[in-house]
Amino acid sequence: MPALPPLHSTSVPALPKKSLQKDAVQKDYADVEATLTRITSHTGVQGIVIATHEGSVIRSTLDNIQTQQISTLVTQLAARGKSVVRDLDPEDDLTFLRIRSKKNEILVAETKQYLLITIQNPNELQKGWI
Amino acid sequence: MLPADRRKEELEKKRAKLAELRAAKEARKSALDASRRDSSATDSTSERRDLDDLVSSLVGDRPVSRNRSRDELGTPSSVSSPLDPHVLREALRAPASETARTEKTPADTPAEKPRPTLVSADFVFFDVPPREKVMYTKEIQTETIDFPNADAVEGPDSRSSPNRDAEPLAAEPPAAKTPEPETPPPEPLTEAERKSILSSETFLNFFDYSSKLVERALNEPYDFMTDYAVNDDRIIDDSAGKNVHRVCSFSDERWTRNRSVADCGWSQKHPELLLAAYSKNHASVTDADGVVLIWNLHLRERPEYIFQSQSDVTVAAFSDFHQNLVIGGTYSGQILIWDMRAKSRPVLQSPLSAAGHTHPVYSMRIIGTQNAHNLLTASTDGLVCSWQLDMLAHPQEALDLVHPSNLKSDGISVTTMAFPYNETTTFWVGTEEGSIYQANRYDRAGSKAGINGLDTYNAHYGMVTGLDFHPLSGPADFSDLFLTSSVDWTVKLWRAKSASKPSMVQQAITPLCSFEDADDYVYDVKWSPTHPSMFASVDGSGRFDIYDLNSEIEVPTVSLTTGTGRALNKLAWDKEGRRTALGSSDGLLYIYDLGEISQPRSDEWTTFQRTLAELESR
Repeated sequence: MPALPPLHSTSVPALPKKSLQKDAVQKDYADVEATLTRITSHTGVQGIVIATHEGSVIRSTLDNIQTQQISTLVTQLAARGKSVVRDLDPEDDLTFLRIRSKKNEILVAETKQYLLITIQNPNELQKGWI
Repeated sequence: MLPADRRKEELEKKRAKLAELRAAKEARKSALDASRRDSSATDSTSERRDLDDLVSSLVGDRPVSRNRSRDELGTPSSVSSPLDPHVLREALRAPASETARTEKTPADTPAEKPRPTLVSADFVFFDVPPREKVMYTKEIQTETIDFPNADAVEGPDSRSSPNRDAEPLAAEPPAAKTPEPETPPPEPLTEAERKSILSSETFLNFFDYSSKLVERALNEPYDFMTDYAVNDDRIIDDSAGKNVHRVCSFSDERWTRNRSVADCGWSQKHPELLLAAYSKNHASVTDADGVVLIWNLHLRERPEYIFQSQSDVTVAAFSDFHQNLVIGGTYSGQILIWDMRAKSRPVLQSPLSAAGHTHPVYSMRIIGTQNAHNLLTASTDGLVCSWQLDMLAHPQEALDLVHPSNLKSDGISVTTMAFPYNETTTFWVGTEEGSIYQANRYDRAGSKAGINGLDTYNAHYGMVTGLDFHPLSGPADFSDLFLTSSVDWTVKLWRAKSASKPSMVQQAITPLCSFEDADDYVYDVKWSPTHPSMFASVDGSGRFDIYDLNSEIEVPTVSLTTGTGRALNKLAWDKEGRRTALGSSDGLLYIYDLGEISQPRSDEWTTFQRTLAELESR
């Protein structure tokens, strides 16, 4: 059912784009923000840092000092982990790194260019799921 | 042999070699100097001889000088040939003074033949200053940045570099022991750079994928590091596992708001995946009309996949034989196929032509086996089409269901369709008028293709909303039983007339039992796949009833409401019969876990047979 253009608009009415060629699920910055807020509001999550492989921070939900620390240290750790995986098997590659400490858990999801680092406190998780 | 020892050896060898080279060089140099010194003394004589030669060649005679030159030519050649060009140069350079001397010397030489002539000659030494080599270094115009870690880096590097110079063949660089040179802290990105990255395609894809992973990982409720020895003050509700309770509800702000669930189903391949098809969003014009979301029980906040279509999706299911495909039928009559590996638009769709359906498709079923399967769809104009999944351009077969005695119109509007278990040629349809018919796909001996008009099922007073055959699940076969639900507030249980014995005369078939407990439209009814006597129904007031015929016939065993008061549109049992998915009209998809009652005991089948006998005898 095509949408009718508004009658009293002065500008050229824009018909809704339902293009069949490209993917119409518009992923954009707003979705990124929404997902970040949703993840941070998850029980126990302390913060998220999105960084490049060199350690430059693209986006973070923590304060500056922590972000800097986390980005430099964790990117180095991920690089080390990646080299370990590749040394063991040259065709292998690191996809996910999960470090559990007494107080925290660091989850690192890695692709070719970027890293998504999540810090959560796992002790706050609820038990019991069938 | 340790690499260190070998390195030392090689080091020693290199050093010895170097020393040798140096010594040789020195020797050569000293030899050169010595020979030069020698040549300076003998220079005069050799010079003279050369000039003799020159003069004689020019003059032509003077045999004495020639002899002499011949004699003496023997010796100078043996002295040092590399000195000749040097000597000649010198000779040619100062012709004036030498010619004067040579004139002297030939005169002297015949008289003093036996004795060597000693003439003091003063030389004009020409000092050729060394050519000045102009050297320049290329430099960059920017200033070198002094890195804070540079000193730390310089130290190990400088220590290791002479080592490297001395042992270029070292297998392991000694720098392995030294700390890896730290890269300088990266330049912080500017705001503009950040924005551009955040909107780039690669970043969005990355973020989509990795946030899904992280959310799935975060959702894990079991803490593998729990220490059971420590006393825990947490109160754990013990009864939760036994009763019927809600596990979760799926909804998405963006995609399910203002839409209602039109269909829901579980995946056969992955028991944690389920899908829900949603109707049109009336509030938004720009959003796609039809949306199918794939949800994952482990990822509760967002859909795994989002599929869209141009028209309302009225029925959708996972493909039984292809693990990546989702098939949907729409309000416009199109059949769509989405692929989980591809984008959100359908990868295949049937055209909007007269060959396919032109009315909404409300029932769909894949029948057959892995290698020979068909998709059967039925639309509200009575057309039943059979499709091949890879060729949706036109249906393989089209069967128009007409009822000859229907006075208003020949066609019947099919709202539900169901096949008995393992049957592919005969099926039952429920219509909008409330009647149920048996239909055959093909002409057979004794019955024609189409509606079997002879059997009349005295069915409902209102539209038939659900029709479900008993699945084959245990030792006894109840596969001729089916349930129907309708908007006349009832659910009825029937025993189907066997298709192998077609009736010759008009027959009226009555239901075995009619369940009239509901007080709203009943929208769907489904048998449990594992429990023979259990089925569930959902109705328009948000009620979810579970009937267990072995325990109670008249009333449901368990009756729950979602609480919102909104109608529940669809119901789907998962493969094990443990959970049910309920789709509601406000876009929420509820998952209920049925606990203990969903598990059949071993005697359920026999009990059910007795129950049926009892029902039939009424």
